[in-house]
Amino acid sequence: MGKRRKVLQGNIIVARAAIDAGCNFFAGYPITPSSEIAQYMSREMPKLGRDFIQMEDEIASLGACIGASLAGRKVLTATSGPGFSLMQEHLGMGVMAEIPLVIVNVMRGGPSTGLPTKPSQSDVMQTRWGTHGDHPIIVLTPAFASELYSETVRAFNLSERFWNPVILLYDEVLAKAHEDIELPYKKDLEIYKEKVHKIKDLDIYDREIGQNPHRVDFFKGYPIHIDGLEHDKHGWPTSEPGTVQKQQTLRMQKIYHYLDDIIKYNEYYMDDAEILVFAFGVSARAALPAVEMARELGIRAGLFQPLTLWPFPKQILRQRFSRIKKVLTVELNMGQVRYEMERVASDDVEKRALLRANGIPFTPGEVLDQIKEF
Amino acid sequence: MSNLEKRFEIRYGAVGGQGIITAGALLVDIVVHKENGYALESPTYTATVRGGPTKVDVILSNKPILFPQATAIDFFVCTYQVPFDLYKSRLRDDAIVVVDSHLVTDLGDTRSWKLHSIPIINETKKQLGNVILTSVVTLSLTQKLTGVIQYRNMVDFIRQWAPADFLELNMEAIELGRSLV
Repeated sequence: MGKRRKVLQGNIIVARAAIDAGCNFFAGYPITPSSEIAQYMSREMPKLGRDFIQMEDEIASLGACIGASLAGRKVLTATSGPGFSLMQEHLGMGVMAEIPLVIVNVMRGGPSTGLPTKPSQSDVMQTRWGTHGDHPIIVLTPAFASELYSETVRAFNLSERFWNPVILLYDEVLAKAHEDIELPYKKDLEIYKEKVHKIKDLDIYDREIGQNPHRVDFFKGYPIHIDGLEHDKHGWPTSEPGTVQKQQTLRMQKIYHYLDDIIKYNEYYMDDAEILVFAFGVSARAALPAVEMARELGIRAGLFQPLTLWPFPKQILRQRFSRIKKVLTVELNMGQVRYEMERVASDDVEKRALLRANGIPFTPGEVLDQIKEF
Repeated sequence: MSNLEKRFEIRYGAVGGQGIITAGALLVDIVVHKENGYALESPTYTATVRGGPTKVDVILSNKPILFPQATAIDFFVCTYQVPFDLYKSRLRDDAIVVVDSHLVTDLGDTRSWKLHSIPIINETKKQLGNVILTSVVTLSLTQKLTGVIQYRNMVDFIRQWAPADFLELNMEAIELGRSLV
């Protein structure tokens, strides 16, 4: 074992990974069960000459992140439940103006103040559709300690590469557990760095389909217009239908052109599986031992664990469903991914879901029971 | 790795301030840093942490830990009645159960538990003068009753961990833990 083997709380792993990925601006408003991230950043960022600001609320937190990101900073905020609800308007601004942002949402029971100290996986659809309007979004769902680290780094890379908000979504159990982790060395990390364009005109949104806007040096004398209103290639507000439709398409396609670079997942025991168990976060950590126990009983179950929840891994699942005709979705909510599964899997695939929203995670035994009954 | 051949689940229950969460953290550190095993700790962290019922689940294994919560507890130490009632679920029928003999008096159905009812808190206060040392006393009796860590590794770790002024007292806590069971 290397010297970097540590016992760390899940939230602290995320905070450390953010710092290692080059995060140099954090604005947030502490909220259970994400608070340790803000706490850690408040202590560690100043030591590194980086900025931490505690804002007056979550709206201001993401607002500050937007401003800092435009000024070239790598930004992070961390929140949960009600705080994430407050961030939805600025999340939309981030998508519309095409601003790299990384937002941690540690899921707790909801709605409203809900169950602050209990786990949940009920923000699945809020991360996808919480902000209004058609928009692309990237949501990553780590399940293991090493993934809390690697997916945090990946969240920064994806947000920088695609000029889009990226949400790191996990639950209270992973946030609060203290686990052993072999921390990677910083020199071994792949950190994406966007080239700065030296343009002299204003056309920062002028690009072909599948391309990002131009990253420019802000505060270097170029007049730049950034707007939450629909805008033309200069960033100026417009409602001209042709331009509006084009901008919608450009925003979508800069992400959806590159699904292979964004969608990541783990598969366990899938080669000859007859039952596909789909689970993420703490539910995946119950599903994996359940699948292993099922195998010992001679039941051919396999686990599909998405690391990218949105965009949904539709194509790869459809490939799997050409052979596998049973899917069990396990999630700590009243049924959210299950509806996506109904859309993705054809009628000849039998679909079941194991659902619960009372703050108690499923155990491996409970998942096994469902597999056995299937 | 010491004696672990499979997943081993421990739960410590107490009221906030008794030092039991620290016992869990120490155990995890010893397994990870001294025994090259895998370990995970899930503490309660509600407002009850300060004076209310609290628990920590510690999971140890010789391979990476998948499910992060306790489901079939092998070893349970509890030093107060309310957390005992709240957290005795998920114990194995043959679990080793250690309770404070003064503070946990209503045990209910003890199934096939290997039960140790001992005056942990009183003896810690009386012999060591500070209830905060319950953490190391608990760690030590865990070591003796379960063998999930080696005695030598525990002592080495506590030597590194304890502040110099309190090293002697912590060593006495280790001995007290051993003598109680």
